[in-house]
Formats: sequence, structure tokens, C-alpha cells
Amino acid sequence: MILRNVAIRHGRSALAAPLRRSFLRSMTTDTLTHETDALDHSVHNHLKETHSIEGNINQLNLTQSFVPPSNAREPSDSIKTDYASQQRLNKRTGKLGATVEKGYVPDALVRNPPKPADVTLELLMASQSHLGHSTSLWNPANQRYIFGIRQGIHIISLEETAAHLRRAAKVVEGVAYHGGLILFVGTRAGQGPAIVKAARLSKGCHLFEKWIPGSITNGDQILAKCDVKVVDKDDVEITSGFEDKVANWKALKPDLVVCVNPLENYIMLHECGLNNIPTIGVIDTDADPTWVTYPIPANDDSLRCIQVIAGVLGRAGQEGQKRRLEAAKTETAEDKKDAANSLRRVAPIAGETAPEQLRGKSSGQELDDIDDEL
Amino acid sequence: MRGRNLKPSRVYQTALRLLESQSIEQPPVWFNTIGSIPPGEILTRTQPAQHRETKFNSRIRKPSKMFKPQPIEYEEDQLRREFYNDHPWELARPRIVLENDGRDGQRCDWSRIQQLGRPLSGESVVQRQLWLIQNNGLPKNAAYDVARKEFYALRHEQEVERRVAKEEAMWTGAYFGKSMLEIGMQLEDKVYEGWRVWARTEIEAADRDRDAAYTDIPEADHVQAADDMPVEEPVAVQ
Repeated sequence: MILRNVAIRHGRSALAAPLRRSFLRSMTTDTLTHETDALDHSVHNHLKETHSIEGNINQLNLTQSFVPPSNAREPSDSIKTDYASQQRLNKRTGKLGATVEKGYVPDALVRNPPKPADVTLELLMASQSHLGHSTSLWNPANQRYIFGIRQGIHIISLEETAAHLRRAAKVVEGVAYHGGLILFVGTRAGQGPAIVKAARLSKGCHLFEKWIPGSITNGDQILAKCDVKVVDKDDVEITSGFEDKVANWKALKPDLVVCVNPLENYIMLHECGLNNIPTIGVIDTDADPTWVTYPIPANDDSLRCIQVIAGVLGRAGQEGQKRRLEAAKTETAEDKKDAANSLRRVAPIAGETAPEQLRGKSSGQELDDIDDEL
Repeated sequence: MRGRNLKPSRVYQTALRLLESQSIEQPPVWFNTIGSIPPGEILTRTQPAQHRETKFNSRIRKPSKMFKPQPIEYEEDQLRREFYNDHPWELARPRIVLENDGRDGQRCDWSRIQQLGRPLSGESVVQRQLWLIQNNGLPKNAAYDVARKEFYALRHEQEVERRVAKEEAMWTGAYFGKSMLEIGMQLEDKVYEGWRVWARTEIEAADRDRDAAYTDIPEADHVQAADDMPVEEPVAVQ
């Protein structure tokens, strides 16, 4: 900085009082004291000079570089300082106060269903699985599942619900482990997403529309347009070698049926009974527990309850499928051969070390491919 | 659908018989699973959960009533009934009955009436009263008074807050529409205006009728009474 011009820039006001040390310090870019002293001396010299030439300042050739004072300020770094102060403030106060959390996600149970181990009585109660029907509508066959009467309705025992749900989950897992075809049925309005999710998890089939009567007992006619695919032990489709088997296939039947509203699906459950297919059903206090093999006493009118139950069974199926694929990878050929005896849809071909498994894929209503749906 | 069909619960036994008789070559996929996890017992009746003391000669000890489910009664039911009898409009306030994991009740501490994340309601009074009865040993009515007055104070505070917030908002230019009284007055004025129109037509009709009555009948009387006078009206009428 050129100190000679200070007097001219700041005019008389700067010259009236002797400059303070701090002012000088602020003007220098260097803070060494000996330099400051030197500057001090030079300023004093200039003061003397200026006093002497104060009268005839116009004659000084310095005036040619005179810059009139203006209001334009030095370019300030306010953005930088503001940002820094904001950062400092955030660092100090950012953790104060309450955090706003997402309170309730309506489809949380569909998106992330609970595992069988996660089922607690609190969860079942919060999902309204304990609410039965009016006491006048009860089916006395369900007496052993009922905890009591409250405000005119029967209350289903949560312990019974949890116990039966765990047992059903084990059945689903076992059937999925042995490569069975699981059909999830929920034909009431709003049950679709939970049913589809469960079927997708357990690699099964789903039905959320009307059951066409005879799809099991008269499947060869009703499912005539459906096709079938052959998959190997790792669920990879086999395209050649099974043409003769595929050509004279019979309509697939599920190996396990999970029905969350048995009251509306009596015909389907009856067909399952005729074909000796095990069924799992949600039995409310007005339903008949003899319609299904494994009753789950719970409220079939609550969508949240259905989401919990279907989700748990879907998770169980997922676990079973996972275990099956792991076993298919690790087990030896002899084990596979043993396992093949417990597999049903097997194409036994001499010389094949790995048993192939026929898995249903159809264009029909209840045997839709799951992955196309979601 | 009539009668009991036990076929579904006996799928394993059926499959076993089919295998034994060699009707099917190989067991179904589910055979081992369901063989190891048999279905539970159904249709039998058990002694239901006992929710209250039964006297020896009670009616529910009759053999026909022994297996009936019993009503569930909790200690706070009576307190709740009393509170809502005294404050029926508390039932008109909207409430959230939804729970995520069902553990909301475990997060409450009823040593104070206000709970974190749970709005004040009649249930707060009931639970607070129950806590006072059980922990402080207060009699029922005293506990009710304590809980009730805490509740009133909080409701009053909320009301004042709401009013002040509204005043502040209105001062800064918010407009909440017409008040209930203004709407009522508007409706009333509308009815009055309608009545005024209707009354005017009625008065006009009545006037017309009266005029017609005076023009018809008295003129005939007038003619009959004073037939010696020259009368132009009948001519005009005809």
C-alpha cells in the first residue's frame, strides 16, 4: 500500500489527529513492529511535508493521481463469513431440539413384512387380530380360541393366534423347502397387495380375484390354455429335453393353499379337500375351523391383520426357498437323489444326476407369474 | 356346507393310506412336513379364561354355561364409564386409535398426566386416576378430582393458546372466514328477507280480495237498496 497517498485520500480529517498505532497496523499488510515503526516515521515525515504544502496542494504533482472518495466499498467476503457462521451455528445447535420422525407408513407391513420370529402379541394386538365377531354370530367350534367377551364381541386369544401362526409358518417353510407350489388366496377388497407380496416372497402363486370353481377338480379343462415350464434345481428354466413331458402334462395343482378369507372361498377349500391338498386359513369367530387343515384364529376383516399373517407366511416361504436353493448347491448327488424322492414334480430321467422340477407357469388367473404383477 | 367334514384336517392320514394301498407312487411334497407338524386339535371345548370370581352357586357354573366365554372386565372400565358420563363431549373429539407396534402403552408414565407423543384425552384422566389409586393409595373420588383438575387446567391452557394464536394470526392478516354467529345471522336475515317478499305478496293478495269483496257484493246491495238512483256501474260491469 502506498502510504504517501493516505493524506490525500483521507483529506483533512485523517490529517487533523495524528494517526493511531492501531490504524497504522490495520493498513499494513505486515505486522512486524520494526516495520511499523519505520512506517510511523515515514508517516510523520509525510505529515510534516503535508503541513508544509497544505496551502498550495494543487501545485503538487501528486494531485494528478488523486482519486476522489466514493461510496463504493471494498469487495466484502460476506458470503464466506455468512457460510462460516452458519456452519458454526449448525455445529453448535444442530443436535438441539426434536427430530421429526415418520410416524406411520400405511403399507409398512406390505413392504417389509415381519418374520415369524418378529411376531409378538403386541404386534398382533396392534394389528387388530384379536377382534372377533358379535357374540351372536359365533361358531361354537371356535370356543377354544376365544379369550373372552368385550363390548358385545368375542376377543380372540392372542396366544392362540401366535401359536397357530408359528405352526402355519413352519408348514409353509417346510413345503417351500421341499419345492412345493404354494397358492396364496385373498379375494376381499384390499387384500391383493399383501397376498401378492407373500406369493412373491415364497415364489408361489396368488389369487386376489374370484376363484373359478373347478380349477382344481376340473383343471384340465379350465387351465387348458396355461403352459408349463421346467426348471432345474436352481430354478433355471430348461428349454429342451422335456418336450414329451410338457406335451402330456396335467393341470398343476398347488401343494399348499393359504386362504385368508375362507368364508368366501368355501368351494376352493372343498376342492382342496377332495384332492387331499393341505390348506391354511384365517378363522374368525364366525368361520368353521374344519374347512382348513391348519386354522389360524384371527380377525379376517382387518387388512392390517391380514397383512401381518400373509407377510409372516410369505417370509416363512422365502426362508424355505432360500434353504432349498442352498441345499441344492451344497448337497451331493446322492443327497439330491434322496431329496428327489420327496419332490413331487420330478421328471425322473435315467442318467440325470440332478432331479429336475416342474414348476407351474400359466397365463390363467390364479397362476399368474408373480414377477409380472409388481 | 352342512355338517362337519374332517377331510381337510386328515390330509396326512389320507395320503398315508393312499401310499400304503399304492394308489399313489410317491408321497406328496408336503408329506414329511405335515407328518412332523400335525395340525392342532380342533372342535374340542376347553375351560375358558376366567376373568372374574365366580360364586359357588353362580349361574355361569351351570354345565350349559361352563364353556361360554366370559366377559372381560378391567379395573379402569368403571372409571372410564364415570368420566365419560360426566364429560360426554370428550367423546366428540377426534382420537387416533392406530398403533404401529402395540407398545404405546408401555411408553407411558402416568405419574404425570401429560405424555410424550400422545395428545391429552379422556383416557389420560382415566389412566392418571388409576395410577393415583394404585401408587398413591388415594381413594377413587379423590384420585378422580386430582386427575380431573389437572385435565381441566391443561385443557384451559390449550384453549388460551389456541385463542392467542388466532388473535396473532388475525393481527398479521389471517382471515378465518365468517364466524358461527355471523353465519347464523346471515341465515336469519335471509329468512327474514324471504318472509318480507312473501308477506308483501300476501298483503297484496289480501288487499285485492278485500277490494274485490267490496266492489262485488256491496255494489249489488247498493243497487238493490237504492234502485231509484241512476247507476252506471252495472252497465260498466256488463
